[in-house]
Amino acid sequence: MNAPDRYERFVVPEGTKKVSYERDTKIINAASFTVEREDHTIGNILRMQLHRDPNVLFAGYKLPHPLQYKIIVRIHTTSQSSPMQAYNQSINDLDKELDHLKTAFEAELLKFSRDY
Amino acid sequence: MEGLSYARMPRVKIRELKDDYCKFELRDTDASMANALRRVMIAEVPTIAIDLVEIEVNSSVLIDEFIAHRLGLIPLTSERAMSMRFSRDCDACDGDGQCEFCSVEFHLRVKCMTDNTLDVTSKDLYSSDHTVVPVDFDANTTTTTDDNNNSRANSGIIIVKLRRGQELRLRAIARKGIGKDHAKWSPAATVSFMYQPEIHINDDLMETLTLQEKREWVESSPTHVFEIDPVTQQVTVVDAEAYTYDDEVIKKAEAMGKPGLVDIIAKQDSFIFTVETTGSIKASQLVLNAIEILKQKLDAVRLSEDTVEADDQFGELGAHMRGG
Repeated sequence: MNAPDRYERFVVPEGTKKVSYERDTKIINAASFTVEREDHTIGNILRMQLHRDPNVLFAGYKLPHPLQYKIIVRIHTTSQSSPMQAYNQSINDLDKELDHLKTAFEAELLKFSRDY
Repeated sequence: MEGLSYARMPRVKIRELKDDYCKFELRDTDASMANALRRVMIAEVPTIAIDLVEIEVNSSVLIDEFIAHRLGLIPLTSERAMSMRFSRDCDACDGDGQCEFCSVEFHLRVKCMTDNTLDVTSKDLYSSDHTVVPVDFDANTTTTTDDNNNSRANSGIIIVKLRRGQELRLRAIARKGIGKDHAKWSPAATVSFMYQPEIHINDDLMETLTLQEKREWVESSPTHVFEIDPVTQQVTVVDAEAYTYDDEVIKKAEAMGKPGLVDIIAKQDSFIFTVETTGSIKASQLVLNAIEILKQKLDAVRLSEDTVEADDQFGELGAHMRGG
């Protein structure tokens, strides 16, 4: 009866930001990104991509509670970079990877349908 | 920003491809990407399914809600879903099914007039849009064995059975949705991936076994992975991918006092995907749609301009405070 609507899980409420950024007050080059209405799908690929960046000293994500539909990504970088730069870079790189994956799959599909 | 990039260049090889089935290898990437693709295919690739049902007459044995639920679960051909609108985002209508951008209307009118039981099936649903119809499972299984399922052939999915005098009349509205909302919108029947196994047999150690022991060891695997060559009596790997990472052969080797007889490594950057769909979209299309959706999701989590600006100001202030 009082169950929340199912779409609450993936529709960002009005007046809420999809991504908010908060600097760490004590450590330089450390920050947390709160991403609304996302889960392990985005959290885990972001974290793993951040680990590939040598300027990233720490990268982790958490889903604080299964009924709070948000994740928190925490990044700590060297002074050569900044959390924001690392975050943007990782998204760009993942985007590139998926672009490549798409062309690779399409090419393979074309090859496959021609061969058989 | 900089020209520096840590992006990977994954490789793909399709092994098997049918309309509703696809098996492919994915290499040079990691488990997070493989798992993200799997998760997106199951829960976030959109399809079309019946979501609203208006029942005019129902004198069948099933209650209205029961029938509405069964209608929802019928897979509908959803090639159009990617370009359709979610009815909650649609500004051309109030989501009442009068709008071509976000909904498709169906009608069903059946009455049993004979003494035989009448099956009401998905074939009795009349769509207002010829591109969105209940999936026809018989259309693409004509070449398979029709011997024992001849009576079932070309019958569609049963919704309810009617006896003489019973009637079912309804109007249904199908909408675009995703599996995260309700499983009826999931295009995936199965999506799974496994690490590609690499099996090395220590041939020298293997030769210290008698034929009887070799047989025993080969038999210890619950799946058919190894075989004994009938000519040379050597143990060979016939199907590495049949291995289920159960460790049985490793335990057996240890029990026989021959640890290290076989070495099995799960390659951390090679995956074998198995994708099966409900028939609502083609398996190959499901993979491509999943990549597209994942790209869109990543695009949505980019930092907005005002967040960056706010930090620039705060950043300078911060630098001031640090004595810069």
